[in-house]
Amino acid sequence: MNSFGAVVPLLVVVGAALIVFLLEAFLKKENKNYLAYLSLLALIGCGILSANAWNGGLTYFDGMLRLDNAALFLTFLFLIAVAFVILIGMKYISLQDANHGEFYGLLLLALSGLMIMVSSTHFIVIFLGLEVLSVSSYSLAGLKRKDDKSSESAVKYFLMGSFASAFLVFGLAILFGTAQALDIPGLVDFFKAGPDNQVLGVVGLGLVLVGFAFKIAIVPFHMWAPDVYEGAPTPVTAFFSIGPKAAGFAVLIRLLAPYWNAGFRSGKLFGFLWALAALTMLAGNLIALRQNNIKRMFAYSSIAYAGYMLIAVLAGDGAGLLFFLTIYMFMSIGAFGSLIALSRKGREYNELGDFAGVGFKYPWIGAIFAVFLLSLAGFPPTAGFLAKFYVFVAAVNQGLTPLVLIAVLASLISVYYYLRIIVYMYMREPEREVSIEMENPALYLVLFLCLYGVLQLGLFPGNVLYLIKQAVAALL
Amino acid sequence: MAILLFFLFAAFAVGSVLGMIISRNQAYSALFLVVAFASLGGLFGLLGAPFMAVVQIIIYAGAIMVLFIFVIMMIHLGEGISAEKKKWTIAAAVFMGIILLAEIVFAVKGAPAVPMAGQEMAGTSPTEIGRLLFTKYLYPFEITSILIIAALVGAVVLIKKREGE
Repeated sequence: MNSFGAVVPLLVVVGAALIVFLLEAFLKKENKNYLAYLSLLALIGCGILSANAWNGGLTYFDGMLRLDNAALFLTFLFLIAVAFVILIGMKYISLQDANHGEFYGLLLLALSGLMIMVSSTHFIVIFLGLEVLSVSSYSLAGLKRKDDKSSESAVKYFLMGSFASAFLVFGLAILFGTAQALDIPGLVDFFKAGPDNQVLGVVGLGLVLVGFAFKIAIVPFHMWAPDVYEGAPTPVTAFFSIGPKAAGFAVLIRLLAPYWNAGFRSGKLFGFLWALAALTMLAGNLIALRQNNIKRMFAYSSIAYAGYMLIAVLAGDGAGLLFFLTIYMFMSIGAFGSLIALSRKGREYNELGDFAGVGFKYPWIGAIFAVFLLSLAGFPPTAGFLAKFYVFVAAVNQGLTPLVLIAVLASLISVYYYLRIIVYMYMREPEREVSIEMENPALYLVLFLCLYGVLQLGLFPGNVLYLIKQAVAALL
Repeated sequence: MAILLFFLFAAFAVGSVLGMIISRNQAYSALFLVVAFASLGGLFGLLGAPFMAVVQIIIYAGAIMVLFIFVIMMIHLGEGISAEKKKWTIAAAVFMGIILLAEIVFAVKGAPAVPMAGQEMAGTSPTEIGRLLFTKYLYPFEITSILIIAALVGAVVLIKKREGE
């Protein structure tokens, strides 16, 4: 249905970003929190508007903007993620010398980029959404301006990101030249018709996939991730771990879903994606074993998670992928939130050695962090187990048993480094003094909600699965 | 008349590119490149693609050249590259040159009949492009403005002066 209502959620977010930028100039440093409240209000408004559009199938701009259920589900996911990031960032940015009101505005713009990406099937729009997301992310990574690592992270992300965009645009140009179309249905028709110059089309498609593989950090296009994750301010890292990944996978399933029942598993790209998935899981988890910096370890862990998600794509399990992404959002933001809890003014504790004895000194934070780690490692009854279980079962049903064996092996490897943090927290004598800033109610709220999410989805996932079923119906 | 202009622009283009390669001063090279882009713009105009002609001059001769000159001014390249590196550069240049030549040969062989000089091709006029931008491609066009705001704010955040500094 063609309706202006399809644009309104996006307009709310962009409008709020502009107001934040404007107010930033007039607000005193002590009052910067009002910008956070304003942003949260905009997120709630956007959430209500999106909820009203559920099952509406609204479109606008000649179908370039499609607010189908899949787009809406991912929009909800992004709204929750950005709300969490704002809440865990409020205190953090004033403690860690990154107190710029633009933090909230840029986050909202990044969110608008994500929303644009997931709510279109036209590659020009998807590319522009990706650029809005990336450009805001580059400067978010460099917000701690006095910190060399943060600046390094911004520059690296910018260079590698531009490189990836170049691949993407080049691929799109070739695709447009051969298929005379840039919207996904048009491209699907082109590849199904199978004319003579399909080789060039496959080259173009391959370049587009490489561009997206950069953005979602799939081995061997992952080199930027550890440095960027380590240097960026921790709330921003939490956002990086879920936002770009979820949007990239959303585009991937939109592109590949029409093939799931039509010879996808014998196609040319299948072997390529299969190898990438296996490599990503193994390399991510093996390199993570050697990391002593927790943020770097999480970077490699998020690379490995991209590999598990790729299995869901290969198995043609859209519902499994969305469920996985939902659970990963709660686990990842919860884990980064626990890292932020262990910080004080001008100091963050990110080395493994800092965690010795934390479990007894700060029992609540230690316990909550341990739950997130167990969930990431995939222990029942946490949601991390269920996420992997659903994806692996779907893959075995599709005859991908060798890949699932690799995945199980990779998860077993990952158990070692997640448990290592828990061992440090509970079984080592503290080596150095760790003192943290305790007064941070917004952060504890997020930790509690993430904990609730991880346990709720692990024990009673029915409601969310019902929504996801409706969302995936829009894709096929 | 058109033939005469064609040879004039072509001579300018080839001559200025030669000048760009030969001159030792990088700033001169950059300026030669401006002349080359401007004459290429003229060639596009002769082919009946006024939009391409203008874009060639505005974007390449204008924006990109300013960027080049800034980079040349900011990083002093000094004596140039070492002899060891130069061997690789030449090898790479020859390799790229052959690929480019092959591409041009294929393109010329596969190209449809060349449109007559002075005759406008469909869908390339500025009016047509403008109309498309504000009808079919309005949504991407509007997203571009969000993109520019994100880039501007991002750049300002990273370089602005701190309070009390």
